[in-house]
This record gives sequence, C-alpha cells and structure tokens, in this order.
Amino acid sequence: MKENDTGGPHVPRGRGRAVADTEGGAEGRPRADTKGSPKSSAKGSTKGSAEHNAAAYAFLTPWLIGMLVFTIGPMLFSLYLAFTRYDLADPPEWIGLENFRRMFTTDPRFLTSVDVTLTYVLWSVPLLLVVSLALAMVLNRGLRFLSGYRALFYMPSLIGGSVAVAALWRQIFGEEGIVNKALAFVGIDHGSWVGDPASALYTIVVLQVWTFGSAMVIFLAGLRQIPRELYDAAAVDGASAWRRLRSVTLPMLSPLVFFNLLLGVVNAFQAFTGAYVVSNGTGGPADSTLFYTLYLYEQGFAQLNMGYAAAMAWVLVLGLAVFTGLLFLSSRYWVHYGDER
Amino acid sequence: MRRTARPRAVIAAALLALLAGGCGQPMPDHSPQELRGQGEIGGDIRFSWWGSASRNERTNEVADLFEEEFPGTDVKREAADWGNYFKRLNVQGAGRNMPCVTQLQARTLGDFTARDALLPLDPMIESGAIDVSDIPEPVLDTGRGPDGALYMLPTGAAYDALTVNATLADEAGAALPDGAYTWEDYADFLRAADAGLPDDIAPVNYQGGLPNFFIAYVEGLDQDLFDGQRLGFDKRLLADYWDMWVGLHEEGLTNSPAEVAEQPPSPEAGYVAQGDVMSDSGPGNALTPVQNALDGAHPGQEVVTLPLPSGPEGRTGNVLISSGMSIPRNCDNVPTAAAFIDFWANDERGGDTYASDNGAVTNTRLLQRQLDDPELPDLKKRELALYQEIVDRDPASLLYPPGYMAVFESAFSRAFDDVAFGKKTVPEAVDAFFAEANAGLAT
Repeated sequence: MKENDTGGPHVPRGRGRAVADTEGGAEGRPRADTKGSPKSSAKGSTKGSAEHNAAAYAFLTPWLIGMLVFTIGPMLFSLYLAFTRYDLADPPEWIGLENFRRMFTTDPRFLTSVDVTLTYVLWSVPLLLVVSLALAMVLNRGLRFLSGYRALFYMPSLIGGSVAVAALWRQIFGEEGIVNKALAFVGIDHGSWVGDPASALYTIVVLQVWTFGSAMVIFLAGLRQIPRELYDAAAVDGASAWRRLRSVTLPMLSPLVFFNLLLGVVNAFQAFTGAYVVSNGTGGPADSTLFYTLYLYEQGFAQLNMGYAAAMAWVLVLGLAVFTGLLFLSSRYWVHYGDER
Repeated sequence: MRRTARPRAVIAAALLALLAGGCGQPMPDHSPQELRGQGEIGGDIRFSWWGSASRNERTNEVADLFEEEFPGTDVKREAADWGNYFKRLNVQGAGRNMPCVTQLQARTLGDFTARDALLPLDPMIESGAIDVSDIPEPVLDTGRGPDGALYMLPTGAAYDALTVNATLADEAGAALPDGAYTWEDYADFLRAADAGLPDDIAPVNYQGGLPNFFIAYVEGLDQDLFDGQRLGFDKRLLADYWDMWVGLHEEGLTNSPAEVAEQPPSPEAGYVAQGDVMSDSGPGNALTPVQNALDGAHPGQEVVTLPLPSGPEGRTGNVLISSGMSIPRNCDNVPTAAAFIDFWANDERGGDTYASDNGAVTNTRLLQRQLDDPELPDLKKRELALYQEIVDRDPASLLYPPGYMAVFESAFSRAFDDVAFGKKTVPEAVDAFFAEANAGLAT
C-alpha cells in the first residue's frame, strides 16, 4: 500500500484534510494515523469517502437529472432523429444520411437559408462591434448626464429582441414608414424596405445593430481599464487620435473585442425573432429573410419534418463549432492579453 | 471496466427510451359505448379554437352556456391566433395531448386524419349523441376524411369573396361586376376603375400568389386542384393564370409586389380596409371588421363583398371552407366532448351568441333564426346572404391533402414572389412550384 508523506496510509486528500483540520493532533496528522490498524483505517476511510461522495452526488442529483433530462437527453435524441424520418405522429424511421444528402443536394431553400444567414452574420456582427465601440468611446469622454445616456443607449438591448419592436420595425421601414417620410423630406423617393427582397434583410441587420447596448457596456468597462499613462505617452510622442486608437485602444481592448465578436457571431447564427416577425414567419419576400433557424422551425413545426429539422440543427451546431474554432485560432494573432513575453 | 461499461450503456439506452416513450401520454382505451358518445356527461374537457379577441369573447360565452346546461362539466379553454394555432396543435398531437374538442378546418383536416389522430363521429351521430339533421349533407361532407368517415363536424362555413371599396369604384365610374362575372369581366372592371381612381390607389392588390384566388380560377374551369396527394391541374393552366396577373401588373392595374409583401395578414389591416386599394380577395365573414376599419380610415366609404369570378361557362369559382369540431383519439371524456359538439351545433342560445363569427352557421335552423333576427347587424346579414347565394350555386367540396397549407400554400406564394420580383420567368416558377408541391405533398 502506498503511504503518504505523513507516514500513514494514503487517504483521499480532501478527507484527510478535513479530519486533520477538525480532529487531528497537534501535528495535523490525519485521524487515520491515530486510530486502528492501517488496514482498518483504509477500510474506514474508503467507506467514509464513499459516504462523502454519496452526499455530494445527492446534492448534485437535481442538477444531474435536469442536465440529463432537459439537455443531454434531448440532444442525444435529436442526434438520433437527424438520421430518421419523423413526422411527430409515427415512430421515427431510420434513413441513414438521407436528410443530410437532401440538405446539400436537392433542397435549394436550405442553401438559400445558409446564404441569408451568412450574409446577416457578415454584416450585423462587424457593424454591431463598430457602433458599440464608437458609442462607448463617446460615452467614455466624461460627458454630463453620462449615466442617463448610458441607460438610454442600453435600453434597446433590453427590448430590441422583442416581438413588439420587430413589429414596429415593419412600420419604420414600410412604404409609409418613418424612414421613407424622412427621405421624402430631402427629396428621395423610396419604396418599401421590408417588402423589397433587395433590402428586407438589411432592415433586420439594422434591428440587430440597434441592440448594441450590451457590447457597448462591455467596451465601456474595458476603456475604463486602459491606463491613462499610455495615452499620455502616445501624445508626448506626437501620436494622432487615429494612431492612439490603432496602437493603444484597440490592442488593449482586443480581448473584449474577441469576447463581443464571439457572442455576436453565436447570436447572429441563431437569429430568429426579427426575421419571423418582419416576414410574418414566411422568410419572405422571395425568401430574402429566410434565416437558417426560421427554415429549421418551418421544417419542424409547419411541415412536420422533425428528422430533417434535427439534422439541420446539428449542421448548425457543427457550423458554429467550426466558425468559433476559426475565431479562436485567429485570436492568437490579434488578441493581446497583456501577459505575453 | 467492462463490468461498469455495460450498465452505463443500459442506463443510457433506458434514458433514451424513456425520453422517446415519455414524450406522449398513453392513449385511452375507449369502450364501444364511449365511441358512440354515450355515457355520463360531466367532468373536465379541454376545448381549443383560433381567433381574435372578439371571437374569444363569443366562444367563451357559448362554453359558459354549455356549463350551465350541463352542471358538473368544466370546459378548459385554449385559444390562439390562426398563425400559431396549428403549430401548437401539431405538438399537442405528437404528445397525444390534443384537447378533447379541437377546432379544425377542412384545409387542415387531412393533416390529422393522415395521422389517425381523430375519432370518427359517425357512431356518435348514429347513436343520437350528435344531431346533424339540420346540417345539409354537402356541408357535412366537408368534414369527411379520405375514407369517407366524418372526422370533423362542420359548424361554420366560410367563403372567400371579392371585397370591393364600392365608394371608390363608384367615384371612378366603374360599375360593380354582377352575376356570374368572369375573370375577363373582372379585368375590364379594373381597367374601367383605373381610369378614374386617384394615382395612389391601385384597382387591385398584386395577388397572383394568393392560393384562394387561384382555387377560384381552377374551380371556375372545372379542373381538379388535387389528384390524391398530387396536383390535379396541369402546368399550362397555372402559367396562364400567372401570365394574366403579370399582364394586369404591366397594365398598371395592381400595386407593387413590395407593397403586397408588406401588407399585414389580417383583413382589417389590409389595404382595402385602409382605403389604399380598391379590391382584393378576402374572407367573406370579414366584411364587418373590414367595414369598421374603413370607417376609421375613410369615414363614409362603403365596402361590399361579391362572389369570386366564375369560369367562362358560368361555373362558380367559390368553394366553401368549413370549420368545425373534432374529437381526438386521446380524449378521455368522449361523452362530454360529444355533448359539447352537439350543443354547439344545435343550441339556439349558442347559435345566437356566436352569431356565425367563424363562417355562416351550418345548421340551417340556426342560420334562418339569425337571418330573421331584426337585431342582427345589416353587415352580418349581408355576409350570410352571400353565403346562401354561394351555396345555391352548388360550390365544389374540396378534399385537401395532408400538408396542404404547409406545402401547397407556402410553395405557391413563394413561386409567384419569384415571378413578381423578377427572379424567375413564369415557366421557371411554374416548374419550381410543381416540383416542390408534388414532392412535399407526396411525403
């Protein structure tokens, strides 16, 4: 039997410490050393360890059950469904890779939904980062009523994803909406923005960018952490405002840019509410707002192709994993944590 | 290691099985007496329907009347708007948890009969638990499944109508089409109106993608919309129809496709109700809310409803769209559910209270009672009068295949969008629609 450095038998570290702290001798030796033979001590500690583990598991049980029943179980079940034909009424029928084959070879709407979603991600995420950083920098200048502005700018983040605001968006960007009225004021005549396939998606991009508050607050916190001396030193060296932004602000903020970028990408890939409400759930006009999640929902709950919808969900998971993996790989070249040598 | 791996695999498999099997409730084992709707009437039943706030109010009042009539019963109510109602019902169906009395529509009935989710009502009619003696046989037939059994008792029969702002037409100097007018007559009416309408008011919405309009075109030509689970008409017919709409648009008789895409789905928020467009197809039973909306937007303007255009031989393009009530197989209180349906279909107080809110009441005795009611608003009487006019012309009864709304309607609108927005030519869009609809309906 392997012995520990106290000369007694080996006991689990946690148990030994707990006993030593409360009941051990002056030298802090575990109780196992002072009572009984090594054999019986080992037996006793194993039993105690099991009891200790049982208590831990008992406390963990509600969480474990929740995790198994509501997260891991459904995920595994959906993975199984991805290889089946399942219409909710009849038992799932195993069809192998057929759902995936159909997705990439005979379903043009799937590819449309991928195209729409990627376009949305590529526009909305960078715009969100730029707008939120720009506003954070403005708010970091010590304006009067700063806390009021902060609350005001954060408000769209609280309500921006709601159905009510998405419905309001139809009014703002409609034929007779506020945007067109403002444009008409300066002599520009434009038709419906949400009704035109060429512009409908970009109205949803604007809706997403409008909810810049969370990213802005994170940037604002980061800006407050940048040492003033760095800017002073740069100013002494004659650095322009643009140079200070490029060489001081952005490198110092890069971990937060990365964080906001990751969150933005994950959220954008899963965007649903805006497109659902603006297009009345159709992804129209002419599939121009057919987001991936919207099409997945249509397949699952309107056309009852649950197997196909499950396959789409797993393709989304894999796509997100690849995208975030690439972001992590790229981060080593542009994210600075300040502890590099 | 092998000793522990096996139990883990067993536990994992058991959990998966539990998930798979635990998704639904057990199906009750009905006795022959229950299948005839006979037994004690009492206890709880769940009842679901779709509709707006005003319909919810009327529906609740009828359910209250039923509870008064049958003490000891408790009707648990579940309402939703049209868009979400069937999505929720699909999930409930998967969990064998549909409400004991479920409102359905003929267009969606096939989705549930195909899954064998509903009890046939014929034994309950034979036993006398449900009385259908005042419902005309052709109307009753709209609730039958492909096997001929009755799965939905039609309680309201709706129709689509040509909704026209008569004031605008009159001011433009265009006489309303009358009688069995054809699509050509309708186009002439639009041309006549266009000459006198203000520039910002289109004679008609650009609605080539509206399935109900197309159904009228197909029915007028005495063609089949469906042949089993495939499209029953040929590509040439659809191409002619869409060419007609493209022609109307090119003549400047319609608004833009972007405006149509932006139009809110509810009739009372539509362009005709707001006075922005002169005519469109719409639900005939929406005359009252559309007129109310128009009163708000343009006081003094009047809206009228006409039958949809007929075929060249005078055959009506209108079809009846019945809504009714079904009893799912998972219902554990069939006698009370049957009593509720019977009450809804026959009780005079219930009929008066509901006042044909979801299509004209199918019970002829209740319908006559409403027509004779001096307090029934004039607009409602006009809705019911047009219903009678359409019924008198012996409209076809359509059997909608499973997936009609999710596949046919969705693909039809999208395919025409591609034409309207210049993404595809008419023949390309027709090919794409046929491929998608036939593939989707067949599965």
